[in-house]
Amino acid sequence: MEILTNMAQGFEFVLGWQPILYIVLGVIMGILAGAMPGLSPSMGVALLVPFTYAMSPTLALILLVSIYIAANYGGSITAVTINAPGTPSAVVTSFDGYPLTKQNKPGMGLGVSLISSTIGGFIGTIILILFSVQLAKVAVKFHPAEYFALSIFGLTTVATLGGKNWVKAFIAAMFGLLINTVGIDPISGVSRFTFGSVNLYDGFSLIPALIGLFALSEVFKQIDEQNFKTKKIALEKTKWPTIMDYWKLKITIIRSSVLGTLIGIFPGAGATIASFISYDIAKRTSKEPEKFGNGSLEGVAAAEAANSSSVGGALVPLLTLGIPGSASTAVLIGALMIHDLTPGPQLFNNNPEIIYGLFASLLIANIVMLVLGLFGSKLWVKVTAVPKKILYPMIFTISIIGSFAVRYSFFDIAACLGFGVFGWILRRNNYPVAPIVLGIVLGNIAETNFRRAVMMGDYTIFFTRPVSLVLLILALVSFGWPILRNKIYNRKDIAKLKSR
Amino acid sequence: MRKILIIFLFSLILFTSCKQSNEKITFPQKPITIIVYTGPGGLIDITARKFADIASKYSEATFVVENKPGSGGIVAMKRLLQLPADGYTIFACTKSNISKIVSSGGEAYIEGIDWAAMMMADPECVITHKKQKVNTWEDIVLDAKSKDGNQLWLGPANGGLDHVTALKIWDQAGIKAKWIPFKSGGKARAALLGEQGVAYVGNPREVLGNDDLQIAAISGSKRLPQFPNVPTFNELGISNLDNEFMWRGFVLKKGTSPEIGKWFDELFSNVNNDPEWREYWERGGIDVIYKNSDEFTKIVHSDKEQFTHYLQKIGIINTEATNLLAKLASGKALNFLVFFSVIIFLIIGFVVKRSSRKKYLGRIMLPIFFIMLSMIFFVISYSFPSNEKVGPSVIPRLWIFILIPLNIFLLIDILRQNKEIENIGENKNIVFGFIALLILYLISIFYLGYFISTFVFLFVGIYILGYRKYLTILLISLGWLLFSYLIFYKLLYVPLPVGKLIEMMF
Repeated sequence: MEILTNMAQGFEFVLGWQPILYIVLGVIMGILAGAMPGLSPSMGVALLVPFTYAMSPTLALILLVSIYIAANYGGSITAVTINAPGTPSAVVTSFDGYPLTKQNKPGMGLGVSLISSTIGGFIGTIILILFSVQLAKVAVKFHPAEYFALSIFGLTTVATLGGKNWVKAFIAAMFGLLINTVGIDPISGVSRFTFGSVNLYDGFSLIPALIGLFALSEVFKQIDEQNFKTKKIALEKTKWPTIMDYWKLKITIIRSSVLGTLIGIFPGAGATIASFISYDIAKRTSKEPEKFGNGSLEGVAAAEAANSSSVGGALVPLLTLGIPGSASTAVLIGALMIHDLTPGPQLFNNNPEIIYGLFASLLIANIVMLVLGLFGSKLWVKVTAVPKKILYPMIFTISIIGSFAVRYSFFDIAACLGFGVFGWILRRNNYPVAPIVLGIVLGNIAETNFRRAVMMGDYTIFFTRPVSLVLLILALVSFGWPILRNKIYNRKDIAKLKSR
Repeated sequence: MRKILIIFLFSLILFTSCKQSNEKITFPQKPITIIVYTGPGGLIDITARKFADIASKYSEATFVVENKPGSGGIVAMKRLLQLPADGYTIFACTKSNISKIVSSGGEAYIEGIDWAAMMMADPECVITHKKQKVNTWEDIVLDAKSKDGNQLWLGPANGGLDHVTALKIWDQAGIKAKWIPFKSGGKARAALLGEQGVAYVGNPREVLGNDDLQIAAISGSKRLPQFPNVPTFNELGISNLDNEFMWRGFVLKKGTSPEIGKWFDELFSNVNNDPEWREYWERGGIDVIYKNSDEFTKIVHSDKEQFTHYLQKIGIINTEATNLLAKLASGKALNFLVFFSVIIFLIIGFVVKRSSRKKYLGRIMLPIFFIMLSMIFFVISYSFPSNEKVGPSVIPRLWIFILIPLNIFLLIDILRQNKEIENIGENKNIVFGFIALLILYLISIFYLGYFISTFVFLFVGIYILGYRKYLTILLISLGWLLFSYLIFYKLLYVPLPVGKLIEMMF
């Protein structure tokens, strides 16, 4: 009951014209930042922190979390329309969203991603409001051995992603993991594979690699295949999902949202892994797994629900312990500190108005996002109507400004170009590029936690801790099964052919 | 006539004197940039922004904070030293930067910087979890002795300030323990809350807001007023830890004129004495101090020596190549190795192209590329120092050991069977053209700046693809320029490159 009265107070505060204005503003900026390849949610938040220094702390937080929430959705817009995921977590959305666009159904992809994002955001927030204190206790107990097991489990999604090409998918993932080791070793501090260049001390940035591998290589491929015809879709006739379509996705959305929130809670795991894992599970449990990768609505829903709900999860350790769960929440801590507020359990007692105002604004921001998204989707669809001969050069310029904006470095533009060309060569030879991104995202988590765990105990620690053991067994099964099944099916096919 | 001459001379004197005094008063004729070496939101970022805020009380100057993250401050310091020593760029510096300078061998930075003002110092402290059995300093010592080197201390990166402080504490207290590095102080604190280790090293501010954390001992010569119950190391009988503090300050490029230096000295000391500034930091247990250039420089040099000593001890710097592979992986030998590999790769490519399997060029060359890359990385991995159980070379080698067999498997598979390949696009030449155009575009941004290059690139790019409505192309190119100017340059402060040539001209 106490929660209800507190929430009522929170809503009372947020339902003024000023907070609402900030939420709307934040959501618009967030959608734009998310949609722009190169501006990730954490950068969208970071870029605006300086502006918030002059605001009241609650308003500042409201603005920043609105951006954070909306940016996670915004990433899916470009993922669906031009196969250029605006954020790393939208990579998974592009697996099925872009094929939908290719089949002249961009409305389906955009509609499902918006609704799944909104529901995911809601579920994440509600879990945050109800269980944050208990969940935080679990999160801090998560041992490095378990983080390692979780990241290995995340890696096994490659087997599902790859399908028949699982060897190539696995090679791509290993390549991602290997280039992730370039830079200063996070554990011992020595520089590795940097060839003496300062530019490589921090390794390859994820964003330029992402833009290169997806946006650039896609355009190279399209130019290569001479796909310049703009399919004239009468915009009024674009198909949008019906209520029935959404209803069919209910289980996928709810499951992915819960999963996304839970994975978001562990500091450092985050939205990208959440979306990969829930996509994997959705595909395994689906009645139509063959549709995945060819425009499955379930695929889009799983990815978007998971990455949006992870926002709620990431706020758990931030608010209850003062520990950032993701890059974006690290920036939020700074925003709290400049206002002389120390995030942590005492914040609930000393400044409940801030906490509950924040909760209320999270819920409202989701609604605002839904409304703006419904209007906006009509606009986003038009991107697909832009003549390709104009669109392609534009994507190049956007990619270049996007990779520059990450750290204002020329090296990043060059890296983006390099990844673009390499990604195109890989695609020409039927290598999937998404596992590279997964490798880059997971490499650091896997390595540091592996070494940390061994330092804290010894090599047996991965098998003596029950959670880690279970996760590793799950990983083995989930990796082995699709490959085994492929083999069995192949044999059956051959047997069938022979018997004919 | 005489009158006129007198008036003329008088006005001339007046004019010149005016001009002189003007010059003195209006040193900052344009905004002064404060470079911050982390992204927005970190403690040093807040320091810089708070400084800009308070400084506006004492001067007309506008301060702009520019975040230039990367390589623990090396990128930002490089930027400082590239720019002219005119006082329009200052750098917000912390003791961590010294550790980075030492570990990356960039000692030129220490000499190239005028260490203008140290503004604050946070004592280092050992933090424990209240609900764990081991939570006072005495407990830690007893526990460490019973565990004999297996006591776990949690904290941020290896070789950083907190780690080196821990090493010193262990030395002085005569105990042994293990340092478990985390990605950030926050993550390590989470692990302490999860009772995964015994102690955490950081600054006192970090226990605020969390009832489960407490400070076991603090460095510095006296107790902190905010934490009157926390003993200093000195009181606990451990000496030589009075100067373990994390300092923050502002530095200029060496060679800045003395007048400008004086202007800044005055400003720094004014801000230091400002009540709002003091109150803001002292509430969090941070010592607001002011040390001028002479004292600051001395401290920096002594820090450098200390870091050099400890970083050598834990093997981050000064490692000699010991075996053949390690020698191959360093210096000129490495360049030769890479060059040699590229040649071999090209030769194989040429041979395949001439052979009957030229259709499979990409399929064959990609596995070979991955294998050769893995081999180069493997050789380099021998140059990493490893005095730990799982050193820096373990994980890269693990990926390499998986990558090589997979590629060999794939290669054999391709060579054995003649699968049909789907017909993929045959317009490679346009793509190559575009890649060349993009490279030109990149070079052009460097010399001619973003706006001119982008305009030309868009125009040429759209034209090459065969679009011929010139007015539309013009409007689109100009529209994008306007958009990127307003959104990226004006709203988001992305410093779009102006271009070297353009910079030189103006």
